[in-house]
Amino acid sequence: MGIARAKEAPDGSPAQVAGRPEPGAERVVLSVRDVEKRFHRGIWPLRREIEVLTGVTLEIRAGELVGLVGENGSGKSTLMQIVVGLLRRDAGEVERPARLGYCPQLPMLWEKLTVDEHFELYGRAYGLEEAECERAVAGLLEELRFARYRGYRIEELSGGTRQKLNLALALMHEPDLLLLDEPYSGFDWETYLRFWEMSERRRDAGMGILIVSHLLAERERLDRMYELREGRISGC
Amino acid sequence: MLSATLPTGAAFVREHLRTPLTLVMLIAIPAFFVLVFASVLGEFSEALGGTLASQSATAISAGWATAFLCGALAFFQVSSSRGADRRLAAAGLGPLRVASSRILAALAIGLTISAVAFVTLWLRSGIAHPLHAFAAIFAFAATYIGIGAVIGAFVKGQLEGSLLVVLVFSVDAFSDPQMTSNGLIAETPTQNAANLLVAAGGAQGSPPGDWVGAGSIALAALAVALAAFWTSARTRA
Repeated sequence: MGIARAKEAPDGSPAQVAGRPEPGAERVVLSVRDVEKRFHRGIWPLRREIEVLTGVTLEIRAGELVGLVGENGSGKSTLMQIVVGLLRRDAGEVERPARLGYCPQLPMLWEKLTVDEHFELYGRAYGLEEAECERAVAGLLEELRFARYRGYRIEELSGGTRQKLNLALALMHEPDLLLLDEPYSGFDWETYLRFWEMSERRRDAGMGILIVSHLLAERERLDRMYELREGRISGC
Repeated sequence: MLSATLPTGAAFVREHLRTPLTLVMLIAIPAFFVLVFASVLGEFSEALGGTLASQSATAISAGWATAFLCGALAFFQVSSSRGADRRLAAAGLGPLRVASSRILAALAIGLTISAVAFVTLWLRSGIAHPLHAFAAIFAFAATYIGIGAVIGAFVKGQLEGSLLVVLVFSVDAFSDPQMTSNGLIAETPTQNAANLLVAAGGAQGSPPGDWVGAGSIALAALAVALAAFWTSARTRA
């Protein structure tokens, strides 16, 4: 079962595949092939090249909860950013659905705006109708239990509550593919367990999920796992 | 496009105006420049071999207060929100709409700062041609929105970037032909706007060449600002 091909954008950003997966169907929702990435640091003549990804290939199907592990600096976050379209790749191909949710390792939020204002901005970015947006937000606030912080500015929130918002922003449009880059840092134990319940529920409903994970204890929660070593996938 | 740009731009304005110190500075800096700084500017210019008269110095200081504030705020608009803007663009808003919202916010803030500087100048010395003066002050604002945004797009460090904004401002302000006779820099970004402001403050006619010059530089600066906001919201290499 293959992924529908879409024409790649001229700037090298990932090709987007339209349509929602049907629950239970094993449609490929993310296909990464031979992706390479180098960073250039310093200025000439002291400019040096750091090779981060040297040909990464992986695949996620609808209804799968897949882990991505690797040492610090192995390129996990870089790979996530390439899939999302925040970083340009040097080589390789990425195909992913248009409806994608991304929860970055460090919350990228506006310190002076409130939780509700973030939901409004993202609701518009995802193209949600007002009622649809409010319904999604109410559900996520209830699931993650931070409804009382709706009117708070980000600078007034604890690290854990910021992380809840970070996760909620990635989920509010019920994406076909969810990319989670260490999404639970700062969560208390109860929220951590609730996070896994939420992820498993969405996986069972047909969402493809790729999660950067460090903890061995989490392996039993995952359907599959990729290991990133020396810029390549070394195990699956 | 406007249905997303307007509310996003409004959110970006709120983001900046929610800092109490920024609000205080919006009032304090024009007041300080026009009421205090201008009185010594004429003497300073004379010491440097310039020709700036005291009344002209009062008028021009309103423009420089606006330039300084707009440059700093445009720089921090890019610098402090780079990651969040890129995430929003990647989520579906797109870099062009994020950049348009940013330019809208910068213009709204620039207009507010120009109005504060204009009122301060009017209260201090009276202005013979108020509309001309406001247009000239806004030209200072637009020019420095471009300068602040382009520095923000290419200089990542907040300290380095803000120092660079101050350096450009200092060179611009103190190299103006009316300020110094050393002639090292023949053209400065705000020279035409400064000429218009001095003329408006002193009830002189505004030279058409300065209108064209100030208008062209202001428009070019806003186009550069849009490109800079777009650059910082798009996919990184």
